[in-house]
Amino acid sequence: MSDNDLNSRLDRAFNPKVVAVVGDKRAMGYLWLNAMKTFTGKVYSVQVDPAEIPGIEAMGIENFPSLSEIPVDVDYVVCAVPRQVSPRIIADCGQKKVGAVALFTSGFAETETDEGIETQNEITDIARASDLLLIGPNCMGIYNRRLGVRHSGDQPAGDAGNVGFISQSGTHCINFSLVGSVRGVKCSKTVSFGNAVILDAPDYIEYLANDHETEVIAIYIEGVKDGPRLLRVLRETARKKPVVVWKGGLSKAGSRAAYSHTASLATAPTIWDAAMKQASVIQADSLDETIDAANVLTYAKPTTGNRMGLIAMTGGQSVVITDTFEREGLEVPLLTQGSYDKLSQFFNIIGGSYRNPLDAGGTIGMGFIPGNLQKLFEILEEDENVDSIAMEMGIGFIARRLRDNPDMLDAMADTLAAHNQKTKKPFLTIVHPGHVEDVSAQVRDKLLERGVGVFANFEAAARALNRSIAYWRFKAGLD
Amino acid sequence: MSATELIEQARKQGRAVLTEIESKQILDEAGIPVAKTQLASDADKAVSIADSVGYPVVLKIVSADVTHKSDVGGVKVGIESAEEVRSAFNDIVASVKKTQPDAAIDGVAVQKMAPAGTEVIIGVSKDPQFGPVVMFGLGGILVEVLKDVAFRIVPLEARDARQIIREIKGFPVLEGVRGQDPADIDALEGLILQISQFIEAHPEIEELDLNPVFAYKDGCIAVDARIVIA
Repeated sequence: MSDNDLNSRLDRAFNPKVVAVVGDKRAMGYLWLNAMKTFTGKVYSVQVDPAEIPGIEAMGIENFPSLSEIPVDVDYVVCAVPRQVSPRIIADCGQKKVGAVALFTSGFAETETDEGIETQNEITDIARASDLLLIGPNCMGIYNRRLGVRHSGDQPAGDAGNVGFISQSGTHCINFSLVGSVRGVKCSKTVSFGNAVILDAPDYIEYLANDHETEVIAIYIEGVKDGPRLLRVLRETARKKPVVVWKGGLSKAGSRAAYSHTASLATAPTIWDAAMKQASVIQADSLDETIDAANVLTYAKPTTGNRMGLIAMTGGQSVVITDTFEREGLEVPLLTQGSYDKLSQFFNIIGGSYRNPLDAGGTIGMGFIPGNLQKLFEILEEDENVDSIAMEMGIGFIARRLRDNPDMLDAMADTLAAHNQKTKKPFLTIVHPGHVEDVSAQVRDKLLERGVGVFANFEAAARALNRSIAYWRFKAGLD
Repeated sequence: MSATELIEQARKQGRAVLTEIESKQILDEAGIPVAKTQLASDADKAVSIADSVGYPVVLKIVSADVTHKSDVGGVKVGIESAEEVRSAFNDIVASVKKTQPDAAIDGVAVQKMAPAGTEVIIGVSKDPQFGPVVMFGLGGILVEVLKDVAFRIVPLEARDARQIIREIKGFPVLEGVRGQDPADIDALEGLILQISQFIEAHPEIEELDLNPVFAYKDGCIAVDARIVIA
């Protein structure tokens, strides 16, 4: 099968018109049929258990006793039958020539039992013989946010995002789409691919590399079946668009857990690190780091320079934001004399300072004097010693006022958004949840709505920005 | 003999480890800079090789059974005369026979002693998932004690060769410290890329060690080499 063929076949499955769910049942809370409620196309159910059929039909979903009896072509199948039944359903999928099937069923090689391994081999052989695109087994399959094809009833649907996620874990796949969404990172398409017996990570990476909706690719991976191919595909993909890779099972005990999870074999951390450096992907160590990296790649303008202009509200924060950015590998240089001349004309140095960092709470009235805030932005924007701007929002100190005066919050967010629209430099804001998590969340949402990138703490912002700089330097041929 | 013939010969003899002489012959054929070495089966032959390549020379035991040549007294360096060659030959053979009596000795390798340079090592081993991996580090105790090495997966691109060298903590040593000449880093990058291409062309090679490689102000040369085949 040529890559083009595979891409167009995967495109059919990732953008289905007809979906069939096989084996959903009440005991699972009709997980899959509920997840497909947002699907813009047609959903069918396949279920033979007479006890289950009335509940399915009560949801308004047409049920058939077998895939072959569905009167139309099926683009994507989710199969949730018990393990022992799975070979028969996989064979049916092959005969029906469905676009792809995601096998949610688990209990295969990852159990390390003879029966699990044999059944996995059996379904693999059947899928191969009928040239069937099998996703999984032991996976959650596809999420297409725009079309509402979901693998969790909590996932947002309708508005497409720009970040594709490829995950060997179903949990991380769902969490990335849910937590990411709250933090401004919206998915285009995701896939949870489990044991990867037919389709493996490189197949999905190649697909998303060519997907116009996907501007950033993030990956959670536990095992590597064909290392050289993975490296080759990552290398080619990173030349087109940024790729963030989060590897699970790099520790000794973690690799044991990864084997039990997806039957993945251990990779030496030094070798993995070398491969990722060669591929020029961004490495992340957690869900949060993966989301932060996707965030900076989505919201911040690309830069190849690492010199920061930092704004904080108070003295203590201005010291610590500076320490943190420098520790993470960025520079916090002195500004130009031109900037100092301008700042000296209006900056309130009683309880403040402007050498960089800018301890600016007094000058900008904690964010409530938009005119001065705007001036700070303009000065840092023009300053040739500054590549990026990061701003700490001291929400803890102004939470009560923001709660009482929602208009003030809007005005402040508008000032930041106006700068963000004009700036040619990355602009990051840091909104720590603090002791007023509800207000902080409101501020974050207002900023995200206006296209301003938000991070929960200094480390997250600095690390994500620094990693993105390494990527843009690679793209610019500077490393 | 060509690389293919040498490898075939070792296979027939049931050997996975090629001798230094065989290894260097294969590398030399691939255009990789090695300090050429010839086999002497007796002391007279050693003297005549030394006379022809010029002094000083280095003598090393040639035995498929000996992995660490210095540990068994199998290496003599800085030999300045025919007389010294003769006694070094006899000392080496006697020492190996004493410390490792079961080792089959092919003879002693004679090579012109390369002038001292900054020592680095370049190795290749196979990772079960990624295949051949190139390792680079400074030679001597730095690699053994500090594990100051970097890795890249074959095939390497020019950028990978540039980065593998700069990734080690000891990189400033190669740039020249305390009045030492800087090492020819371009030449090292070139050598690393040659090794990557060589390994791609020879999937039957399981391991390769160039230890040490001497890096000079101009150029570099592999002074010792060892190839292990599948």
